[in-house]
Amino acid sequence: MATAALHEGGSRPSNVFTRHDLKGDTVLDCDVVIVGSGAGGAPVAAELAEAGYDVIVLEEGSYYQTRDFTANTSQMVRQLYRDGGASIAIGNPPIMFQEGRAVGGSTVINGGMSWRTPENILARWRDEAGLDDLTAHSLEPYFERVEKRIHVAPMDHDAIGRDNWLLKKGADAKGWETLGNLRNQAHCVGSNRCAFGCPTGAKQSALVSYIPRALHFGARVYADVSVQRITMHGKRATGVIGSVRTDDGAKHEIVVRAKLVVSSCGAIQTPALLARSGLTSRSGMLGQNLSLHPNVKVVALFDEDVSGWQGAHQAFQVREFADEGLGCFAAVNLPASIVAMSVPHRGKQLGQFMDQYNQMVVAGLLCEDTTTGHVKVINGRPQAFYNLAEHDAHNIQRGLVLLAELLFAAGAKRLLLPFHHAQELTSADEAHRVLSAPIPTKGWEVVTVHMMGTAKMGSDRTTAVTDGYGFMHDVDRLLISDASVFPSPCRVNPMETIMALATRSAGHIIDNARRYLG
Amino acid sequence: MTYHHTPTTRAVLDSLVPVICPPEAVPYRDAIVADMALQFEVVPPIVQRALGLGFVTYDLGALPRYFKRARALQGDQAEAYFHSWEEGFTPLHVQFARVINQLMSLSCYEQPAMMERVGYRPAAWIEKVTKKRLTVFADDVRKQDAQILAPDPLRPAMKKEVA
Repeated sequence: MATAALHEGGSRPSNVFTRHDLKGDTVLDCDVVIVGSGAGGAPVAAELAEAGYDVIVLEEGSYYQTRDFTANTSQMVRQLYRDGGASIAIGNPPIMFQEGRAVGGSTVINGGMSWRTPENILARWRDEAGLDDLTAHSLEPYFERVEKRIHVAPMDHDAIGRDNWLLKKGADAKGWETLGNLRNQAHCVGSNRCAFGCPTGAKQSALVSYIPRALHFGARVYADVSVQRITMHGKRATGVIGSVRTDDGAKHEIVVRAKLVVSSCGAIQTPALLARSGLTSRSGMLGQNLSLHPNVKVVALFDEDVSGWQGAHQAFQVREFADEGLGCFAAVNLPASIVAMSVPHRGKQLGQFMDQYNQMVVAGLLCEDTTTGHVKVINGRPQAFYNLAEHDAHNIQRGLVLLAELLFAAGAKRLLLPFHHAQELTSADEAHRVLSAPIPTKGWEVVTVHMMGTAKMGSDRTTAVTDGYGFMHDVDRLLISDASVFPSPCRVNPMETIMALATRSAGHIIDNARRYLG
Repeated sequence: MTYHHTPTTRAVLDSLVPVICPPEAVPYRDAIVADMALQFEVVPPIVQRALGLGFVTYDLGALPRYFKRARALQGDQAEAYFHSWEEGFTPLHVQFARVINQLMSLSCYEQPAMMERVGYRPAAWIEKVTKKRLTVFADDVRKQDAQILAPDPLRPAMKKEVA
């Protein structure tokens, strides 16, 4: 059975093609071509394939199976992350962001947090973007369907690691609301390798859920294919042109002719693909409105053994301050090498710090941003630009004080803050004192994995790039199915929102097949 | 394309291992520098070029002060010179020093001996919990696998009708 092969390492499914199979220029025909195989592309592929349509998925990254995901962190980063994880949004401060680049997209490297879009966010989208149909009630069947497919469930108790229990202990001591995390996992056993390809097969990423389903119903997946542009006939999208580079360095062109084109490359790559294709939006918003959910991490040192790498990633979320723009606090254990690269120490000081690796709790906070950046295409490649807003920097600073309070309440002895030249803190009082002074934004170490909004949905074509289903205004038969279409940040981890909207779009296509596929 | 360090990059990185990595990692200098080559291979070409230029500048930048290239500096001199970049003549100096510190620290703690030193043993842990999942939860795992492939159309009887 296909999934057993994916989990346990059987042979590659016959309808997955890679650079090893493409020996020359290739022309393919299909009903639907989908560029990108992650949270936006894979559900559309599975739903339309099951409905009987001929679907081709093109993925720039390679095809890996669960058996390929090992404990070698830097190798996994090189294989699964665009630019080796070193993508940077230029601005003050520079913000490092990560995009998955493999079959399954970023779902292969995310933490698997699976939350429905909060009702107040949907209300904002209705009010500000005229998306009157987006209600919790109307989306319910799509969320339910997604949750079943990717097996959204609370964590098994015995898979939760000590770092997460300490986070909960601190939150409980403060009397703050803590939620058991919902994740797309079927008996996660706490390998804590979510971000490097789940090696146990427990995380139900698109790679082991929607993609096998799409393949089962006849879809074809072409990995290692970089799509240069969408082809057009007048105002109508007619397919894509891409290329594959084989191991011997040869470059072959791939042309896919399709009745419907779907761009699911994420909020950085989708506007770039559209721009490379000469497409513009009269709204002027294509590539604009980039939000990032900036997040920062602290390292807390405890006297006790924590060994946070033995236990599930982010088993709890502290949501006490979500309504104040601080989406959540969570324990986010990182491999030793990533911790080492995340701290400013070096030499002997680095060694002394890292010798305490098993006494560390790495905790992060996610900020719902109030400003936006943009994506520009330079020499065919997208470049993100984003300046952290004063208000958000202030909010993050406040969040750090709260997180410090929580960690010291949990028993932390010392705390390392996420900016250069920051002193180690030894008490919550000290955190209040140090963090009451303004900290220059340029010194912050900010990262993100949630890029959104660069082709936003809206009922008004003069202010939005796509309509309420993600179809690009003013272009026929071009669907955008990824976080680009979010009108604003979604406050929670975006995967489930992307998947639910993708499923809804697929239903709309099936219901209107003559219009989109005739 | 396979990336190879230029002689300058290689020499500068060799000289920086004792500055950035803890003393106990210095015996793994070759492996650390080799691991960095793998990292450089996947960054965008423009970043590769910027890094290459940065290493040349770093190497030659030591001449006015020490009358030798950075690659030849040792001990306190190597430390002081790198620190001067961390503090930065320009933001670019600061950024370069920061990036090299980050990438070398990453490669340093990717070395098996350094992982062992800090008590991080993910391979054995993965093997243990994978076995647990496939034995203790075998029935549920099979059920989920079956669910993924089971027919469940989004729209009833909407099989392709459009010619």
